[in-house]
Amino acid sequence: MSKTVCPRCATGGALDDYQGKEGGKVVWTIHRCPTCCFSWRDSEPASAIDIGIRSADFAVDAANLDRYVKILQQ
Amino acid sequence: MMQDLAKQSRSITSLRDFLELLGDAGQAITWSERVMPEPDVRNIAVAASRDANGAPAIVFDNIAGYPGKRTAVGVHGSWDNIALLLGRPKGTTIRELFFEIAGRWGDAAAQISTVPEARAPVHECRIESGINLYDVLPVYRINEYDGGFYLGKASVASRDPEDLDNFGKQNVGIYRLQLQGPDSFTLMTIPSHDMGRQIMAAERTGLPLKIAVMLGNHPGLAVFAATPIGYEESEYSYASAMMGAPIRLTKSGNGIDILADSEIVIEAEMQLGERVLEGPFGEFPGSYSGVRKAPIFKVTAISHRKNPIFENIYIGRGWTEHDTLIGLHTSAPIYAQLRQNFPEVTAVNALYQHGLTGIISVKNRMAGFAKTVALRALSTPHGVMYLKNLIMVDADVDPFDLNQVMWALSTRTRADDIIVLPNMPAVPIDPSAVVPGKGHRLIIDATSYLPPDPVGEAHLVTPPTGRDIDELSKKIRAMQLGALQ
Repeated sequence: MSKTVCPRCATGGALDDYQGKEGGKVVWTIHRCPTCCFSWRDSEPASAIDIGIRSADFAVDAANLDRYVKILQQ
Repeated sequence: MMQDLAKQSRSITSLRDFLELLGDAGQAITWSERVMPEPDVRNIAVAASRDANGAPAIVFDNIAGYPGKRTAVGVHGSWDNIALLLGRPKGTTIRELFFEIAGRWGDAAAQISTVPEARAPVHECRIESGINLYDVLPVYRINEYDGGFYLGKASVASRDPEDLDNFGKQNVGIYRLQLQGPDSFTLMTIPSHDMGRQIMAAERTGLPLKIAVMLGNHPGLAVFAATPIGYEESEYSYASAMMGAPIRLTKSGNGIDILADSEIVIEAEMQLGERVLEGPFGEFPGSYSGVRKAPIFKVTAISHRKNPIFENIYIGRGWTEHDTLIGLHTSAPIYAQLRQNFPEVTAVNALYQHGLTGIISVKNRMAGFAKTVALRALSTPHGVMYLKNLIMVDADVDPFDLNQVMWALSTRTRADDIIVLPNMPAVPIDPSAVVPGKGHRLIIDATSYLPPDPVGEAHLVTPPTGRDIDELSKKIRAMQLGALQ
C-alpha cells in the first residue's frame, strides 16, 4: 500500500495512474484515491492538493461514504 | 462575401477544418509558450471567455508533461465563432444568429454518408490493449475543486439497449465524464435525459450498454448534440439538416455510428449496477455540483487520428464557452415548439445559464395571454426541467436587448402580474433549488394591458426604428472605430 495520502479524504493508499515525462524525466505524477475517487496531479497549486491548505468545504468523510446519493436508481 | 462564408461553413467536415477557417478569420490562435496543466490552461481559457463576442479558439501545443500533444479550448467560445460556423460574418448580432438558426428549423433534409471503417480518419490509430487514457488525453483540472480530470465537451453516442437497430433512437449527447483511473470513467446524467433513460433500461433488463465517446468533433455536432430534441430524433440527422451540409459517419469498433472525422473516440461499456463517487464539478450555474455515486464505464478500445487534438471546454461561472455553445440552440427549439401552438410568439432568448432564465416576446391575443404562453413554455421538453424564471414581453420589445427588457419590466409589470409556481421539477445542480431536483418557478408578465383590463393604458412614444436606424448605428460604430485607429 502506498504512503501517498489523499488530500480530499485523508486516506492513504493512493494509486499512481500516470507520469508525465519529458526527455525521459518525470515532470509530474497523477494519483488517484481508491477510497473517495479523487484524482490529482502532484504539480498542482497547493490550494488544490495540500490537505492543510485545501478548503474544508470540499473534503470527503471517508468514514461516512454512505451519505452520498446513488444516481439513477430504479 | 456572405455567399463565400456560407459555402465555407457548409464545407466543414471536422474540427481541423473549422480551426483552419477560424484561424483565417483571426478567430483561432496557437499558444506555444510552455504552460502547466494547472492552473495555466484554466486561467487562459477564463481570460479568453471574458470577451463573449470576439474570443478566439486557443490551441495549446506545449503543455508540461504532455510533449507532442495538443489541447483546444474556446472553439465555440464567442458569438463571432458561432457566426462563422453558421456562415455569417464576424459581428453578426445575437438576434440575427437566433433567426438564422430558427429559420433553418424543420426546413432542410439530412445528408448522411457512410465511410468504411478502414478509410475513416478517426480509426487511423487504434489501441485495444494496454489502455491508458492519459496516454492519449492531455487532461487538466477544469475548476480548482473538481473531483478529478473531466472531459467537458465529449459527445457520447449510444444505442437504445432495447432497440439496438433503431437509428433514430441512437442518442448523441454531451455529458460530463470524470476519469476514474487509466481505463475507466464515470458519466453524469439525470433520468429525464436520453442517456439516463438508456442506463436505467440497461440495468432494468440486464442488457449491455455500450457507448462511443467522441472528442474533437465536427463543430456542428458539438452544438446540436446539446440541443434538446425528441427522443426518437437522430442528433446526426438533425445536425446535418441544421448545418445544411453532409455528415460523414462510420462505425466504432463496438458497433455504434460515430463521426468519421472526429479526433478521438473512446469505446466503453457500462458496468451494470456499479456506482462510484463522482464530483464535485464546477457546473454551468457557476457553482459546484455535489458528490454523488455515478455509473462507471470500462474502456474497451480507443481510436484516434494521427497527432490528435484534445478538445475541451471551460465551464463555470459565466460567461463561458458553455453559454455561447448552447445558448442559441437552447432558445431555437423552445421558439419552434411554442410556435406550433402559438404563432404569436416572436422570439425566445434562453441564453442565460442553459435557460434557467428565459425571455419570450409575444403578441398578446387577449388580456393575460402571455401567461398562457409562459405555461406552455414550461411544458416544452427543455422547459420541464430548466425554464425557471420566465419574463414575458410584448412583440415590440427585443428579448435579446436587455435594456428594452428592463424598460418593459419597469413600465409594464404590476406586482400581481407575477406568478410563483411552488415545488416544481428543477435541475439538480441549480443551487437555488429547495432540495436538489425540486424548486419554484417564476413567471413575470411584463406585457402591456389589453381590454377588459382598463388600467395602465399608455400613449407610447414611437422612436424611429428599422433598417435606416440599424445602418446609422453601424455607421456611428464604424466612425468610432476609425477614430481609434
